[in-house]
Amino acid sequence: MSININTPSPAISGGGLGRGRIGQPVLRKEDLRLITGAGCFSDDVNLPGQAYAIMVRAPHAHARIVSIDTAQALAAPGIIAVLTGRDMLADGMKPIPHRPFSPHPADMPLENTDGTPIFTAPHYPLAPDKVRHVGEAVAMVIAESVAAAKDGAELVEVDYELLPVIANTAAAASPTAPRLFDQARSNVCLDGVMGDAEATAAAFARAAHVVRFETKIPRVTGVPMEPRAAVGAYDPAIGHYTLHAGTSGAWRTKADLVIMLGVGDDDVRVITNDVGGHFGTRGMLYGEFALVIWGARRIGRPVKWTCERNEAFATDYQGRDLVVEAELALDADGNFLAMRGSNISNAGGHTTNFSPLRKGVEIMSSIYRIPAAHFRARGVVSNTAPTRPYRSSGRPEVLYVMERLIDLAAREHGFDRIELRRRNLPTEAEMPYTNPFGMIYDSGAYHRVMEKALGLGDWAGFPARRAEARARGKCRGIGVANYVDTASGVPRERAEMTVHRDGTVDVIIGTVSTGQGHETSFAQLVTEWLGVPFDNVRILTGDTEFVKFGGGTHSGRGLRLASIVIWGASQQIIEKGKRIAALLLECESGAVEFRDGAFVRPGRGRTVSLTEVARAAHELPDVPDDLRGPLAAISDETITTAQFPYGCQVVEVEIDPELGSLEIVRYSAVDDVGRAVNPAIIHGQVHGGIAQGVGQALMEHCYYDPETGQLLSGSFMDYAMPRADNFPFFNTEYVETPSPTHPLGMRPAGEGGTAPALGVMINSIVDALSEFGVRHVEMPATPERIWRAIREARGGAQSMCDRNTPEVMLR
Amino acid sequence: MPTVSMTVNGKRVSAEVEGRTLLVELLREHLGLTGTHVGCDTTQCGCCTVHLNGTGVKSCTVLAASCEGATITTIEGLATEGKLHPMQEAFREHHALQCGFCTPGMIMSAVDIVRRKGNDLDERTIREQLEGNICRCTGYHNIVIAIQSGAAAMKQSRPSGAPPG
Ligand code: FES
Ligand code: FES
Repeated sequence: MSININTPSPAISGGGLGRGRIGQPVLRKEDLRLITGAGCFSDDVNLPGQAYAIMVRAPHAHARIVSIDTAQALAAPGIIAVLTGRDMLADGMKPIPHRPFSPHPADMPLENTDGTPIFTAPHYPLAPDKVRHVGEAVAMVIAESVAAAKDGAELVEVDYELLPVIANTAAAASPTAPRLFDQARSNVCLDGVMGDAEATAAAFARAAHVVRFETKIPRVTGVPMEPRAAVGAYDPAIGHYTLHAGTSGAWRTKADLVIMLGVGDDDVRVITNDVGGHFGTRGMLYGEFALVIWGARRIGRPVKWTCERNEAFATDYQGRDLVVEAELALDADGNFLAMRGSNISNAGGHTTNFSPLRKGVEIMSSIYRIPAAHFRARGVVSNTAPTRPYRSSGRPEVLYVMERLIDLAAREHGFDRIELRRRNLPTEAEMPYTNPFGMIYDSGAYHRVMEKALGLGDWAGFPARRAEARARGKCRGIGVANYVDTASGVPRERAEMTVHRDGTVDVIIGTVSTGQGHETSFAQLVTEWLGVPFDNVRILTGDTEFVKFGGGTHSGRGLRLASIVIWGASQQIIEKGKRIAALLLECESGAVEFRDGAFVRPGRGRTVSLTEVARAAHELPDVPDDLRGPLAAISDETITTAQFPYGCQVVEVEIDPELGSLEIVRYSAVDDVGRAVNPAIIHGQVHGGIAQGVGQALMEHCYYDPETGQLLSGSFMDYAMPRADNFPFFNTEYVETPSPTHPLGMRPAGEGGTAPALGVMINSIVDALSEFGVRHVEMPATPERIWRAIREARGGAQSMCDRNTPEVMLR
Repeated sequence: MPTVSMTVNGKRVSAEVEGRTLLVELLREHLGLTGTHVGCDTTQCGCCTVHLNGTGVKSCTVLAASCEGATITTIEGLATEGKLHPMQEAFREHHALQCGFCTPGMIMSAVDIVRRKGNDLDERTIREQLEGNICRCTGYHNIVIAIQSGAAAMKQSRPSGAPPG
């Protein structure tokens, strides 16, 4: 299926129809309420008679729960209930239905080499027997107020038997490491391979050059600014649960709650209003969501829980955390021959998700032409918070590895960094390109985009800027990184469209905007395709009362899949409308055309508007039965192809060699978005994505003490967040090469800012430090790390910007 | 429990509060003004910024009981006579918000920056002055542009002689 999204062409003339079409940076519909304080985030919801829940959380990273004494807490003022894992099991609560991978046919299979199933173990909202990371909930205290609940939580006495802790990713994979799950042979839950071992070995055997790189991509966390919150209610008369919570998709949350509670599909309603950021952290249901509705049933009153930031740091699903050993083989001319290595991904304290491992390994070769590759992929558990996909799941890590390998190859074997990339980027004629793991990159003007980014970043003018910086005693470096991103995720989405008698159009869809502006960009699609004024379109999401299916928002699937089902529903509306219009125009429906937002009988000059048709569907006596009533359509599609956004970033940094401090002086990015719906939103997505990638590269780090598994980065005082003064203005541009695997040509734009940011940042830093002989700086590249790298590498090599560095600094 | 009286968004209000009640709790829970958000527990994020007697404060770090007789403006009170404040307009115009959670605090801080630093703000000043406000969505790019433009617009919309902000 291929559709030209610019047809049919609605009128630009009159009625404000020109505003809000595809391609316009129209102002967002959601903003008026958000800038006036009228948004409705989860903690803004209050139900009459609600009680307040506080979780009792484990202070230990690994311990057996010997006993929980709730008597003192229950006797405290204002306490309504204290519920433990035992109560939860007694009531039949099922574990959180984690799935090791999100199912998408375009992703490569990853299975255990020995044929055994991937190890998974139940993860309950309240740990019944054992805690496996600091902050894991062991009891829920419900009280008349938050303060009373907190006081009560202090009185819950939990007797723990401490167990040996393993918090380090690589060490967790060792067969002798302390085991998290007694029923498992080791902490390695998944141990598989991808690629062709033989072909790879052969290619390495004839390589002229081999470059090797080992790294750890640190654990970070998404930190949506809105902490989680949930309000649960239960109606005993009809046995019905209602949850108000910020999710990435109300329908999927409902479906999971139905499983956990063992109730019928219609027994749970989930309502999600405004959501203050997601980035992957809200990609799966949280135990507290099930606890508040269960608690509401237990006490016969609504229960509200609001996460505090320190709890969020300890218990939000975290991201990244990958240990990589990789080698790249090149021939004498610099052609990439093969790649091999091993990845270990850390799922944390529960077997939540191994998607980032798979999504990384399958594009280990990144955007480049590499004929052969072979990787071992292991997923381990450890005494740390559970992880899940985080913005551009699994890809920024491996793209960073590839970009570092290229820069290292250039430096160690005498190639030019740019020439090496040019030589190994597939050309447009090679598209679609199948990578050595079997992923099929749909299309792309990779060379054109890289050259555009190099132009935007003025690569050619860099030597002069470096010289100028040097005169000021600063070390200036420049880096480049390409990326390709594999957008898959839940393949099914559903839109329900209704044209009302007053001419307004409602679209019900199963995605949820967590900042992406769906109310705006989805409405633009309707305005484009049905010629309806932009202000007349309403996008309705986030309530399972009317959302009958929805895949949610992740994997760049929001607009990408919404556009397909909104297109499908629009076409059905037009077809139905033609049949009704035929009655009004007194002709065969085949003779009716839809143009400029109205139905016309060509040659006769008579038109009827969509609104008139919608009205006629209700009122005209001779409307056929199948069209009588609301003019409505449902489009439910499963899209089995993936899309491949790609792009290039160029970054320039200046480093003060005495302090190790760093300033980003230029940041340029070019992304291929296929077809741009709202340019302002696209640029905004890229800006935010860049900031998250840069945050990981320079400062963010979930740091667990390796001995105790204590989280030492548990607040904004310890976890470094990117702030306004860490960045320059970004120079972002996009190109539009329609994706042939998407019926409307679209590629997602939400993750491209992050995907190459790790690689480009470290490449530019290492370039700035190259004159000292620094080979690499691990993430987060803090001033201290940079300063130490300079000190360690210097050993005699005196740089032009190497002034006297004091002996004791920064410590 | 002590009673505290103050003027919030032009209205006189009184509430019984505990000694430990924070201003943000009073605003959100007692007065239902949920536009002021709580994003942290360490006075770092700025989501809770309001104006206390004309000065920007983090309402998560002010005891309600200490606000006796004070004049408070929250994001809900920034638009006057049904007209958006120029800083609100600027945030919308320049797509300076995505999820919108940090936005009320950002806007209240921005107006306070103008009060302190004037209407002609350069990029560096704005970035430095935003030290106390975290946004996870926007990379700050459009926020800086919006503040610059909103600050300039505040100059134009200000009746002559009136203090900025
Ligand atoms: S909530 Fe006040 S600074 Fe974060
Ligand atoms: S807009 Fe989401 S945190 Fe700023």
